[in-house]
Amino acid sequence: MRKSWLVVLACAVPMALTGCGGSAPTGATGGASSVKAGGTIKIGSLHPLSGSSAADGQQMDNGAKLAVEAINKAGGIKSLKGSKLELLSGDTQGKPEIGQSEAQRLIQAGAVALVGTYQSAVTANVSSVAERNKVPLVIDISAADSILKQGYKYTFRVQPSSTVLGTQGAQYLSDVTKAAGKPAKKVAILHEQGPFGSGIRDAFEAKAKSLGIAIGPVISYDAASVSDLTTQITAVKASGADVLMVAGYYADGVLVAKAVKTVQPSLTAVMGVADGAFDQPQFPKDAGKAGEGYFDANYHADMTKPAMQELAKLYLARYHDQIRTGAVLAYDSVRVIADALERAGDSAPTKVRDAIAKVSLESLIAQKGPITFGDTGENMNATPILMQVQGGVVKQVFPADKAESKPIFPANPGR
Amino acid sequence: MSPTSGQPSRASSGASPDDDVAAHDHEVISRGTTRRRYVQRGVIVLILIVAALALAYMRSGSAVVVTQAVVTGILTGGVYGLVAMGLTLIFGVLDIVNFAHGAFLALALFVTFWLVNTVGIHPYVALAITIPVMFGIGFMVQRGVLARAIGKPLENQLLITLGISLVIENTLLLFFGGDPRSVALHGDHALHVFGAVADLSRVLAFAGALLLAGVLYLLLQRTRLGTAIRAVATNDMGAQLVGIDTRLIYALTFAIGTACAGAAGTLVAPLVTIEPTSGDMFNIIAFVVVVLGGMGNVIGALVGGLIIGVTEQLSGLYLPGQSPLLLVFIVFVLVLFLRPQGLFGRTS
Repeated sequence: MRKSWLVVLACAVPMALTGCGGSAPTGATGGASSVKAGGTIKIGSLHPLSGSSAADGQQMDNGAKLAVEAINKAGGIKSLKGSKLELLSGDTQGKPEIGQSEAQRLIQAGAVALVGTYQSAVTANVSSVAERNKVPLVIDISAADSILKQGYKYTFRVQPSSTVLGTQGAQYLSDVTKAAGKPAKKVAILHEQGPFGSGIRDAFEAKAKSLGIAIGPVISYDAASVSDLTTQITAVKASGADVLMVAGYYADGVLVAKAVKTVQPSLTAVMGVADGAFDQPQFPKDAGKAGEGYFDANYHADMTKPAMQELAKLYLARYHDQIRTGAVLAYDSVRVIADALERAGDSAPTKVRDAIAKVSLESLIAQKGPITFGDTGENMNATPILMQVQGGVVKQVFPADKAESKPIFPANPGR
Repeated sequence: MSPTSGQPSRASSGASPDDDVAAHDHEVISRGTTRRRYVQRGVIVLILIVAALALAYMRSGSAVVVTQAVVTGILTGGVYGLVAMGLTLIFGVLDIVNFAHGAFLALALFVTFWLVNTVGIHPYVALAITIPVMFGIGFMVQRGVLARAIGKPLENQLLITLGISLVIENTLLLFFGGDPRSVALHGDHALHVFGAVADLSRVLAFAGALLLAGVLYLLLQRTRLGTAIRAVATNDMGAQLVGIDTRLIYALTFAIGTACAGAAGTLVAPLVTIEPTSGDMFNIIAFVVVVLGGMGNVIGALVGGLIIGVTEQLSGLYLPGQSPLLLVFIVFVLVLFLRPQGLFGRTS
């Protein structure tokens, strides 16, 4: 008996080892030659497909799918004998621990790169998995500065960081109000209490003060449980602030608009900074007239670009829904990976990582220039633009070269 | 607030002639002592309220803001109470911690959304449909699924209700998608109360909560069904011995509790953004309210809701920049420390 066990072990161990070799990153065993002509290269897409952010997560997954489809239609990765891309989708459910195990699963299934994930807490975990496995992660959405402060080599971010968002938001507010001859004097801040909201608050506050704008009061709320913001808006009204800055998510953004309409504070503008509501296509419908004139300084799909208009049409036809910026960011993130594969001529994750670090790619997002990554992995040209709800439609209004129409200020929100 | 119900033996269990579905108290206290205790408690509560408002005024420096906080707190508190009523009823009678309550609420939100936007009826007329529909669903869920778990370990029921909530939420996600929706209430406008403002829809939801609490109270105290429900809650075996069909009572109670979620869903539909996970927003608060008010006590749920609502709003004034739930949980822990059975709970 004991002998036969030994024989089995002797056979099994080498087999198991070679088995592992097969599922390890291809970079470990071979280079370009490991990809056969007509073979597929797998990319992992990790988003919240169920749970409270399912609507955005599904949009982003759809965006990644459309990018893969477009690249395959154009002949795949030419430097790899026309290999096609294949998208593996994972559902993070918006939970860090699920995101982590899904990332591990997709990497084991052979993904050479990952895109994701929307929530900063999930992305933080996924980025550590990516680092450990030496597989690049391209973040489409997740604002928290801390993610890229870990010194990770395999994580890159396409969207602007919360520092860039908050700083630029304050700058835009100053520019637009000055241009209208009524410079903002005192700005009240209302933000969700998580790392996203407080990160934006810190950056906005610092920049606004340096521009000579007073800040106060600063009010926070819990986005997961808030069901009424009337008291908070009444406090804003009592403070005599002339502009209200908001950094929050969708449902609470609609509550802000309803409360402003009810309380009628004498504000010249309500301005979101990376707010999850004010620049969404369905916001004017949900908030009704209460949402008219709302500003949002946010990363946004550049609707002035013909390629972007094409994509928006395709998305509407395919999914019967208007495309959101999240889907475009996922689309761009997959393009970044495809571009890296093309230039690397190799599907080994480590080689793909090196190529992503040197990327320079025109974006469908409104940016200062092409997507290029700095030493920490931040997109150097990422910037927010200013949007405003005008006549029930979200329009790009500032800076002038990205504008679809002129900003209306004072906007007299809720009146 | 005076023991006029002719049941002085119950008075020690709370500050009102309570409707505790399982009220039975062995202590007998004379009316004089009881009255003195009421006065004492009333004075303490009054001092606490005045101190809380004075502190809020000092922190915010504006009487209008404090008034607004109290008005908003009472109105949202009414909604919390509304959601918690069904939950507390189910807990009191069936001993089930119903994790599916929030999901039932979300289901009612979507039924309301569908009725208003597709069939085109007025949001409040939808009550006439959502309440019976949710009653029926509750009855079937109890009979079909939960009845089998009665008498089994508590975690079986926990997991079943958790499973039901997952099924409902993800079915809604499958058919409606995750996009947020809303129900528009035409003619909704701001009402002015002492310099504070409130939307008509919120005032109506609050009125609905009071009405529902009243109806439930009468149902439990003044009808044969209510008597049977209280009997089952107090002593399952005893109720069986006097000829009550306890299995039917379990199903009916669960159905009534689910119908409450249905009523709550329709009443809050104009106030919230409707998503498959909308119920989660109320779930945690509802559990806090149920425990605070005393498990199984409908009036306790309403009062608990009001306390949590006002605390949450004042917390924003005391500690700006902190989570409003911080003070809510401090109050919660304090109340449990002083009255482990909840404000209106029976001593056991």
